[in-house]
Amino acid sequence: MGKNFALGLTGAVAIAAMMAAVGPAWAQQQSPVLDAAVASGELPPVAERLPANPLVITPVESVGTYGGTWHSALRGGLDNAWIGRTVAYDGLVRYDREWKEIIPNLAESWEVSEDARTYTFKLREGLKWNNGKPFTSADIAFAAELFSEPTYGAGTFMKNPNNPVKVEVVDETTFSLVFEKPNGVIMDDLASINGLTLVSLNKEYCSQFYPKYNPNAAAEAKAAGFETWELWMTDRCSWATETIRWANPELPMMNAWMIEEPLKGDSTRTTFVRNPYYWKVDTEGNQLPYIDRLEMRVSDSLEEITLMALNGEIDYQDRHIATVANQPIFFDGQEAGDYRLGENIPSNMNTLMLQFNMNHVDEKRRELFQSKDFRVGISHLIDRQEIIDVIFTGQGEPYQAAPRPESPFYDEEMAKQYTEFDPDAAAAAFEAAGLIKSGEFYTFADGTPLKITIDMISSFRSEWVDMMELLQLQLEAGGVDIELNNIDRTLYYEKRPTGDYDAQIWQGDGGLDVIQEPRYYLPANDESVWAYRWAQWFQGSRPEIAEEPADWAKEQMDLLNKLRSEGNPEVRNDLMKQILAISKENFPVIGVSLPGNGYYIAKNNMRNIAEPMLHAYLFPTPAPYDPFQWYFAQE
Amino acid sequence: MMRFVFRRLIAMVLTLWAVSFVAFAIIQLPPGDYLTTYLATLSANGDRVDPATIEALRVQYGFGEPYIVQYWKWFSGILFRGDFGQSFEWKAPVTTLIWGRLGNSILVEGLAVLVMWFIALPIGIYVAVKKYSLGDYLATIAGFIGLAIPNFLLALLLMYLSFVWFGTTIGGLFSSEFENARWSLPRLWDFFSHAWAPILVLATAGTAELIRILRANLLDELKKPYVTTARAKGLSEWKVILKYPVRVALNPLVSTIGWLLPALVSSSVIVSVVLNLPTAGPLLLRSLTSQDMYLAGAIIMLLGVLTVIGTLISDLLLAWIDPRIRYGSK
Repeated sequence: MGKNFALGLTGAVAIAAMMAAVGPAWAQQQSPVLDAAVASGELPPVAERLPANPLVITPVESVGTYGGTWHSALRGGLDNAWIGRTVAYDGLVRYDREWKEIIPNLAESWEVSEDARTYTFKLREGLKWNNGKPFTSADIAFAAELFSEPTYGAGTFMKNPNNPVKVEVVDETTFSLVFEKPNGVIMDDLASINGLTLVSLNKEYCSQFYPKYNPNAAAEAKAAGFETWELWMTDRCSWATETIRWANPELPMMNAWMIEEPLKGDSTRTTFVRNPYYWKVDTEGNQLPYIDRLEMRVSDSLEEITLMALNGEIDYQDRHIATVANQPIFFDGQEAGDYRLGENIPSNMNTLMLQFNMNHVDEKRRELFQSKDFRVGISHLIDRQEIIDVIFTGQGEPYQAAPRPESPFYDEEMAKQYTEFDPDAAAAAFEAAGLIKSGEFYTFADGTPLKITIDMISSFRSEWVDMMELLQLQLEAGGVDIELNNIDRTLYYEKRPTGDYDAQIWQGDGGLDVIQEPRYYLPANDESVWAYRWAQWFQGSRPEIAEEPADWAKEQMDLLNKLRSEGNPEVRNDLMKQILAISKENFPVIGVSLPGNGYYIAKNNMRNIAEPMLHAYLFPTPAPYDPFQWYFAQE
Repeated sequence: MMRFVFRRLIAMVLTLWAVSFVAFAIIQLPPGDYLTTYLATLSANGDRVDPATIEALRVQYGFGEPYIVQYWKWFSGILFRGDFGQSFEWKAPVTTLIWGRLGNSILVEGLAVLVMWFIALPIGIYVAVKKYSLGDYLATIAGFIGLAIPNFLLALLLMYLSFVWFGTTIGGLFSSEFENARWSLPRLWDFFSHAWAPILVLATAGTAELIRILRANLLDELKKPYVTTARAKGLSEWKVILKYPVRVALNPLVSTIGWLLPALVSSSVIVSVVLNLPTAGPLLLRSLTSQDMYLAGAIIMLLGVLTVIGTLISDLLLAWIDPRIRYGSK
C-alpha cells in the first residue's frame, strides 16, 4: 500500500465508490517494485496504465500490502491446470465467490437478445495487454476467426458444430456473439475455466503466424521447424490454459501475473511476475495484485511436494497434496511448518459412482442392467457406513447420485433413496429383476451364471482400490459374483464405444455444477458411461453406434435441449428440476457416499483467503476467490 | 584393428535401424492413441471436445495412416533432417525436450557409476584377498542389504530422514535460486549438495553385484600359477595382485559398460520420479503412459544409440586392457 496515500481509509472508500461510476480521478497506487520503471520513463504512470473504469475488488478481510513471492508446485511440467487455477482465470465475465451469480470482468456489461441468440458485450474502456497495447473487440474477433478454421484448435463453444458462433464487432469496445440457434448456457461457459479461449489471443502478435494475415506464415513455420502453420501457431500462440501457452514469454496476456521464466520441457521451475497493466484495483485504488511474484517448482515427485509443504516451503496449495491420507501429517505439522489448514467444499457429490452398462451388446445383460429392480438390489447390498468408517475415517454420509446439500437443487429423498444396508430388500429386488439364486450366487432366470466385471482405474484415485475391494466383499456376501478389472485409462475409454463392458466406476461430478455436468442425471455426454449409446443418439455424434433411448431418457433430453436454449435462469432451473425428478424416479446409477470436506495449506502470514472455498474444475478454485488480492502480512 | 572397428560400425547402424523399427511398433501396441488419452484427460476435468475436432486432429497428426507410412515419416525425418517429430502432449518439437534431460541423465547416472566403482573395486579386491574374514562377511552383508532394498524405498527413507533430522527437503538437482543460473562454483556446490542423494541411491544397488563379480573372478585368478610365480620372484604383495589378477578379473566388468547406461536409465525411472530428478526417465514414463509416440520413440531410440556406442567402447577398452583379445582379433 502506498506510503504517500493522502486520504483516510473511510474517505477513500467513499470516493472510490463515487469515482468508480464517474471516472479515474483518484490517485491510484502501485507496487513499489514498479516505481523505478515509472521514474525512468520505461513504464507510464499507473493512472495511464489502468482502464477508465478498473474493476474494483473488495478484499476478503482487509486492504493488503504489496510484495512477496507465492511459492507452490506443479506436479510435472504438464500440470497446467494449476496455472489455470492461479494465474489464467480472467475471462469476459467471472463467477462471484458464492458460485451463484455471473459478474463483470473484462466486459463491464452485457445484453442478451430476446431470442437468446445474440449476446452483446461492452468491454472496459482502456484495457491493455501486459505489453501496453490496447485490448479491443478486434482481439475477440480474431480469436473467433482463428478457431473457425476447421484444422485449428480444440474444444469449447467456439468449435461447437451444432451451434456455430460469429463475432460482430460494433466498435473498439463493443461486440456481439451471434449464435445460429438460441444459447442459454453461454454465460456459464464464459464464466467457467472453459471460457478463456475467446479472450486469450492478441491479434497484433498472433496474426503473424496466420496465413490469412501473413502470406509467408506457412513458409516461416517450416523454417522454424514446424510442419504446418497450425503447429507453429499452437507453439507460439496457444489458447486459454494450454501447457504450451506458458512456454512463450512474448505472448501478450491479460492476467494479474505474467511469465518470467517460461514452463518448458526441461524446466524445473516456472515463475511469474506482476503485470504492470493489470486492470483491477482494491477499494482504496491500489492496483492489484498485491503479491509481486509467483514461483512454482516443477516436480514429478508427490513426496517432494508433500515434504516441501510440511517444511513451510509452500505458501498456498491444495492440488495433489491435500489427500485424505496426508491430512493427519499436515495437521500435526502446522506449528513446525508455520502454516494452517483451511477448508474446501468439493463440488463432487460422490466418492464413487457405480455405473452398470444399460447399452450392453449382450441382450441378457442389457435387459438386466436396464432393470431398476436390479440396481436397487445392488444399492441395498452396499454397507456404506462401513466404507465411510474404514476408508474415509468417518467423513461423509451415504449418498446417491444427487445434487449436494449446498446446491439449490438439493433433494434429500433423491440423495438418500435405497442407501440403507438391507440384504432382505436386496433379495426381494433381485427376485423382481428375474434373477434366481441357486447355491452361492445369483444366476439368470435360465440358470446361466452371472458374473459381473467392474472396470476400474486405480491410478486415478488411490482410495478406489480399497473401496472396490470392500464393495466386492459386500456384494459377494449378498450373492452377486463380482470380478474387479483394474485397467489402464486409455483402455477404459476405448471400451466405451464397443458396448462390451458390464460396469465402470468414476467420481461423482455434478454435485454443485448440476446444470453444467449432468452426466449422471441423464445420458448427456460421453461420460454417461451407463448409457453411452443413448448419449450418442442425443449428441448426434457416432451415429454408427447410437441407439434410441428409453422414453424417460428421451423426455429428459428434450428438457435439456430446452434448457440449453433458454435465456431465463429461473426457467432453466425449473427445467433442471424436472430432469432431476425423472432421474430420481428411474435411478440410473448407484452412488456410495458424499465426500468429506477437503482442505488447503496456507502459510500463516498469507491473508485474504476466503473460508471455506467451494472446490471445482469449472469454477477453478482458488481463482474465483481472487488470489490477486491475497497478501503476505508483515509481522 | 581398423577393420574390426569398421565392421562394428556397420553392425551398429543395422542394430539401430532394427531398434527404431521395433521400438516404434511397440509404442503403438496399446489400445488407442495419444488423442484417446487427451480426450480422457479433458473429460476427467469436465472439459469437452466435439468428435469432428478430434477427427480433424487425427488426420493432422496422421494417426489414421498405416504403420509403415507413419514409421517412414518419422524415421526419414530423423535421418535426413535430424527432426524427431513433434511431442503431442507438449506441443513442441521433441528435440527441444530431450537434450537437457538426457544430459542430466548422463551426468547423474555417470556419477553414480563412478561412485559405484569407487566403492566396489577396493572392497571387491579386499574381500577376495581376505576371503572368509570378518571384513569379508561385513562387506557381503552390507552389499546384500544394498542390493535387497529397492532403490525407490531407499530414496523415500533418505527424504524422510533428512526432513525429520535436518529439516531439509531433498529433491531435484538444484535449489530454486540456482535452477536457471549459469554454471559457477556456488552452483556446483549446490548441485553436489542435492545430487549426493540420488547418486548414493543409484550406486548402492549395483555395488553389491560388482563386489560379488570381482570377488569371484579374482578368487579364480589368485590360485593360478602365474601369481605364485610373481610372488616367488619377490614382487610386493599389492603389486602382485593389482598388476596381474585384478586386470584379468576386470574383463567382465569392462565388457558390460555398454549396458550400464541404459540399465541405469530404466532402473532409475522410479527413483527419478520420487526424488524429482529432471532426467530422461520420468519423461519416458510419462510419454509412454500418454502414448506420446514420437517423444517415447526418440528416447528409446537414443537409449539404443547409447547402448550401441557403449558396447563399442567396451569392446575397444577390452582390447586395450587385455592383450589376449587384442592379439586374438588379428
